[in-house]
Amino acid sequence: MLKLNTLMITLTLLYTRSLSAQAAGTQYDIRVDGLACPFCAYGIEKKFVKTDGVKSVDINIAKGLVIVKTGADKSFTDSQLREIINDAGFTMKSYTIPGNPE
Amino acid sequence: MKRLTYLVISISAIAVVFAATVYVAWIPSPKEPPYELVAKWGAKGVDPGQFNEPTGIAVTDDKVFVSDSRNRRIQVFDHNGQFIRQFGNPRNKQSGEESAILERPMNLSIANQQLYVADYFSDTIKIYTLGGEFVRAVGQGGDGPAQFNAPGGVAVSGNGNIYVADFVNQRIQQLDNNGQFIRQWGNTKTVGVWSGEFNYPTDVAVNNKGYLYVADGYNDRIQVFSPQGNYVHKWGGPFGMNIFGSFNGWFATVTGIAIDPQGHVFVADFYNDRIQKFTEDGEFLTAFGIPGNSPTHTAIAVDVSSNGSVFVADYANHQIQKWRPGE
Repeated sequence: MLKLNTLMITLTLLYTRSLSAQAAGTQYDIRVDGLACPFCAYGIEKKFVKTDGVKSVDINIAKGLVIVKTGADKSFTDSQLREIINDAGFTMKSYTIPGNPE
Repeated sequence: MKRLTYLVISISAIAVVFAATVYVAWIPSPKEPPYELVAKWGAKGVDPGQFNEPTGIAVTDDKVFVSDSRNRRIQVFDHNGQFIRQFGNPRNKQSGEESAILERPMNLSIANQQLYVADYFSDTIKIYTLGGEFVRAVGQGGDGPAQFNAPGGVAVSGNGNIYVADFVNQRIQQLDNNGQFIRQWGNTKTVGVWSGEFNYPTDVAVNNKGYLYVADGYNDRIQVFSPQGNYVHKWGGPFGMNIFGSFNGWFATVTGIAIDPQGHVFVADFYNDRIQKFTEDGEFLTAFGIPGNSPTHTAIAVDVSSNGSVFVADYANHQIQKWRPGE
């Protein structure tokens, strides 16, 4: 009985967290090769801001990091992110979603 | 053993001669004292006099125009940093025209009493009076003639021709005053390191003899073309072939270029946090800037007033720097 309760609580927590994440949208921290100056950083930003569902884009040139925040009903796959970065003339090294287990 | 000794001595001698050659040939000494910093203004923010990533600058005899990129506006100051006006921002819309609104202003140019703005996100060159009234936009997005993909800089020649650093298309375009295509340099959408080819060109300038100077961004060099369109020469590190560094006359990503009335060339050397000054033929004269811990990106754009003062857009600190010739 204790095990069943624990399972129910865990599932409820996971479901709540999932709903909360959906309502808040998703943040993608994308590492990009060759992010040398604002000119190239803005090129990546330009691609993302013209993509439906993207709420904001921040760039940290020193860290080679592009931070994309989406609306609740928008998500990207790995290949979609790579395609956008490639279209801007650069190569995506990796990405993480803060708060998500690796 | 004797042979090994001779070998080591020979290799050492060759290395010393090579190093000396490199030093003499490619690391010139300053011919002028560095400039002196006389003023700086601005901080990160949205209010008048504040900036969010300034990326372009152009000056007249009494005013300084700044591309305040993330605030989507041009701010105008006097030469001492006193705010005068702003325009181009949707919140401060004056003309009512949608096309008057700036999306991501970059390098600037002033000619014929008009301000030319390379608007990176809208893929156009936007033209305003010096009072801030929108005049017209030139170009549209694409990779055909008179189309741009992320224009980074603009210049205007004495006859009114417009030159555009078409950043992502890897080319420079020359348009007439009406925006009609005349010619281009570089191979569209193709990066190259040979003469006449480009690697993300960021800015352009035209001197009073009609020579075109190109800030060939990631090739870490300047390229020069004659009024007839012929390649003349290039400089920046050994052979001007995409070899970057922090020595005199070398660059680490060039992001802006300006020419004073005497023909001196000023280059914003982004990763070296400095402005370098050259003769019109590319001979190194001096360098100056605000150094930081690691690259801090304190010099992204530059312009020179008729009295010799140099104004610099400081990307990292969200400021404008004013320099005067050293004594």
